Amino acid sequence: MEESPLHPFELHELIPLSVGGFNISINQAVIMMWVVVTLVTALMVIAASSRRLVPTKLQNLAEILVDFIRGIILDTMGKDGMRFFPLLGTLFLFILFCNLLGLIPGTYTVTSQIVVTAVFAVSMYSLSIAVGFFLHGVKFLGILVPPGTPPWLLPMMIPIELISQLARPLSLAVRLFANMTAGHTILAVLFGLVLSGGLLIGWLPFAFTVALYGLELIIAFIQAYIFTVLSCVYLGDAITLHGHSEHAH
Amino acid sequence: MRIGTELLAAVAVGGGLGWVVDTYLFASTPWGLVIGLVLGTAAGVRNAYRAAQRWGQPKP
Repeated sequence: MEESPLHPFELHELIPLSVGGFNISINQAVIMMWVVVTLVTALMVIAASSRRLVPTKLQNLAEILVDFIRGIILDTMGKDGMRFFPLLGTLFLFILFCNLLGLIPGTYTVTSQIVVTAVFAVSMYSLSIAVGFFLHGVKFLGILVPPGTPPWLLPMMIPIELISQLARPLSLAVRLFANMTAGHTILAVLFGLVLSGGLLIGWLPFAFTVALYGLELIIAFIQAYIFTVLSCVYLGDAITLHGHSEHAH
Repeated sequence: MRIGTELLAAVAVGGGLGWVVDTYLFASTPWGLVIGLVLGTAAGVRNAYRAAQRWGQPKP
């Protein structure tokens, strides 16, 4: 009964596998990812199979999700961004389902592993850099110089901008990872208090657990949203080069 | 939460780059770390400023 609140994050090798010296064992996280991929695919395929004018409940849900992602892209990147819709939609749905399914007791939260979030963040950031160089060539390096910088400030502005660019994937990865890990740890600690408190006082932390569980549901959604929005913003910056954030003033 | 991670990440990257310059490129301990941290803080403030700027912006 008395176990560490970090216990839910431990990975156990269920089916040990090793290829060429790499440990690719099947653990809970891998299985959860398979579950998430299956669920998202099933939801979208089943919802899209009927295509009625008056939507069924499932089709309605899928339409709301797709329209929501479309809204994010149009708000941050405009019409140009729609060609990234399949990628960003998949990213959003995967992270959302990982976050939400991880809240079911007994399952594993894939997004509480920094490896997973870091891979997403680094690949989205690398994609934005690649798109920038593809569209603008060497001129893309101009992203390191904000418009209106006086020349004598350049030796200072370029390192600062370089660091602020490199900080983007790190903050993207850490934000999602930290939110999910912290939330689940708090839930585990509170529920541990319920178990050790007994009937007399245990109802108090139990009430908190229920309330925080609702909060975690919201956070699961918000974090998936923020991750997608920021990926869009970075891609949009690469497409427009000194995007709208600089035009604001 | 967003602003906080934005600030911290930039400081960490700045400090990290400074440390790498110190230990692997030149034997300039501790100046790379010091300058890296200062630049990282500046970059963090700039990132946080940008993030906050996006909030007040009317949607295009």
